[in-house]
Amino acid sequence: MKKRVKGIVWGVVLVILVLYPWLFGIYFTNVLVTCAIFALFAVSYNLLLGYTGLFSFGHAMFFGAGGYATALALTHIEGCPLLVALLFGFFGAVALALLLSPIVARLAHSAFAMLHLAFSMLLYTLALKLRGITGGEDGIGGFPIPPFHIPGIVSVDMTDPLHFYYFAMAVLGGSLWIAWFLTKTPFGQIMVSVRDNAKRVDYLGFKVPHTKAIIYALSCGFAGIAGSIYAMFQDLISASALGIAQSFAPIVMTMVGGVIAFSGPIWGAAIFALIEELTTRYTEQVQLVEGLVLIIVILFFPGGFVHLLAVVKGKWLEFMRGKGSGFIKGTWFGKK
Amino acid sequence: MDSTTAMYVSQGIHGLAYGMVLFLVASGLTLIFGMMGILNVAHTAFFMLAAYFCYQVVAWTGNFWLGLFLAPIATAVVGVLVERFLLRKIHALGLLFELTLTIGVMFVIMEGVKVFWGTENLPLPVPPLLEGLANIGGMEYPIYRLFIIGLSLVVLGFLSFILYKTRMGMVVRAAVSDADMVNALGINVPHLFMFVFGIGTWMAGLAGVAIAPILTVFPGLADQMGMDAFIVVIVGGFGSLGGALMVALISGFLSSYGVQFVSQLAPVLMFIFMAVVLAIKPMGLFGEREG
Repeated sequence: MKKRVKGIVWGVVLVILVLYPWLFGIYFTNVLVTCAIFALFAVSYNLLLGYTGLFSFGHAMFFGAGGYATALALTHIEGCPLLVALLFGFFGAVALALLLSPIVARLAHSAFAMLHLAFSMLLYTLALKLRGITGGEDGIGGFPIPPFHIPGIVSVDMTDPLHFYYFAMAVLGGSLWIAWFLTKTPFGQIMVSVRDNAKRVDYLGFKVPHTKAIIYALSCGFAGIAGSIYAMFQDLISASALGIAQSFAPIVMTMVGGVIAFSGPIWGAAIFALIEELTTRYTEQVQLVEGLVLIIVILFFPGGFVHLLAVVKGKWLEFMRGKGSGFIKGTWFGKK
Repeated sequence: MDSTTAMYVSQGIHGLAYGMVLFLVASGLTLIFGMMGILNVAHTAFFMLAAYFCYQVVAWTGNFWLGLFLAPIATAVVGVLVERFLLRKIHALGLLFELTLTIGVMFVIMEGVKVFWGTENLPLPVPPLLEGLANIGGMEYPIYRLFIIGLSLVVLGFLSFILYKTRMGMVVRAAVSDADMVNALGINVPHLFMFVFGIGTWMAGLAGVAIAPILTVFPGLADQMGMDAFIVVIVGGFGSLGGALMVALISGFLSSYGVQFVSQLAPVLMFIFMAVVLAIKPMGLFGEREG
């Protein structure tokens, strides 16, 4: 019965996503694509933070690496196919991760976080300085977006926003599913054990630095895919995609959505898209609202939105059973 | 004296002044980290907030010295309130939550100043007493930078006196090495945390006011300084004041002479330095434990 309900829910979600452009128009379609890009970015971050316990201050460099790799491939390689450009983004980020992993896989905690800050700032500065390759402040833009082409079967024009929507959602959704599946495998369990007790994992015969390096590379690869789609979506990638604000975004989204669940960062990305949509109408200081939301969430629901969801669900069930007093008296803030 | 030497000396003064200001910011950061284990991301937001406070005081009274006195204190009050009513509430939840909370505080301060003061560059004039150049031994030095160096030295002396010569300083040093044990000895560690957080933000505030007449007051003030201050703390070793002083001075000279000799590379020199040090010594030069 439960499985059937779940199936129905996912079916409804899928139908809504397919019909979405017709229901809400092109503006909100673009909002959704941006939100989905950041959802994948934040989920890839949470593979490190929530699942493996590695706190990084520079995840944007993999997002940016993916974006720049795709942009460079599309600019310089004549007739580069769409999926190849996407793979460039993925492997660009993975290559950067593998390059860094011998150094960072030995570290944990603040040193890990700060070394990432240093490397991401290094890349940011390089992206600004190496004008010949990266275009400096202007970034790389105006590259051709090739059609989605499978020889002899199908060729879809990707400059049409509607077509790109389906392509982006398929790639991002697929990546999210793979990331989710990864956490359910035995390897995903080792990830969690490394977070909880790295020493014991070592005694059990697993290689902790190797495990960290593999998760690291995969997480960065997903961030690269997000960056790659972002570059193609905007038809532009600039140094701000590598910046410190871009590195803070997934941290904040993950914390607000909930670090404890796979779905947390996705909720977080959705919440921030919503905040941005609502606040830009009244003020330019979107970050002020985001900061306040972050502070309130951490003070009252350290588990983030999924925490709130669980509390409300629990109290709601209680309420339905005729014990709604707790809900009404306002004790559902769930503070320890 | 020939012009080449003069150039070296004047760049040296710039580097020293910047390094000392950097040390003021970084020492607060490293004290807070060493003691409370919190990487205070909002630290440089306090630094910038003080510059805005000083601008406001000068706008009201026209007196820079009053600003220099009041603005850091006002900043410290804000810092103490943040510690008391935000950070302390979630101390039990652990590092991750404290750190992300300071990110939230940073967002609020950085955007809040835009709401109150706008996004333009606000000029803060150097007080008449400190304007111009001083002629010492045939060399000309900008007085204001000498003043910054002197001010930092005074604060450094004051800080080291408190830390190494008083009972309170002894307790603070003990809490840096093991806060739980100090708490078990019957000392009110939460109060001590609040005090250290206040002192740390006060020093950041003082640095913010000191640098404001040179760089003017604008919302991006925290960015450059913030990154450098973090690098100083990390490379020097978390919780190490001596390390922070040394690396702050290296950083100051790297940036001033770097611009002179390898201007293309200057912005990345510090990051390269940091990456090399951390790759060899993950705990920083003088760090005793991993952060």
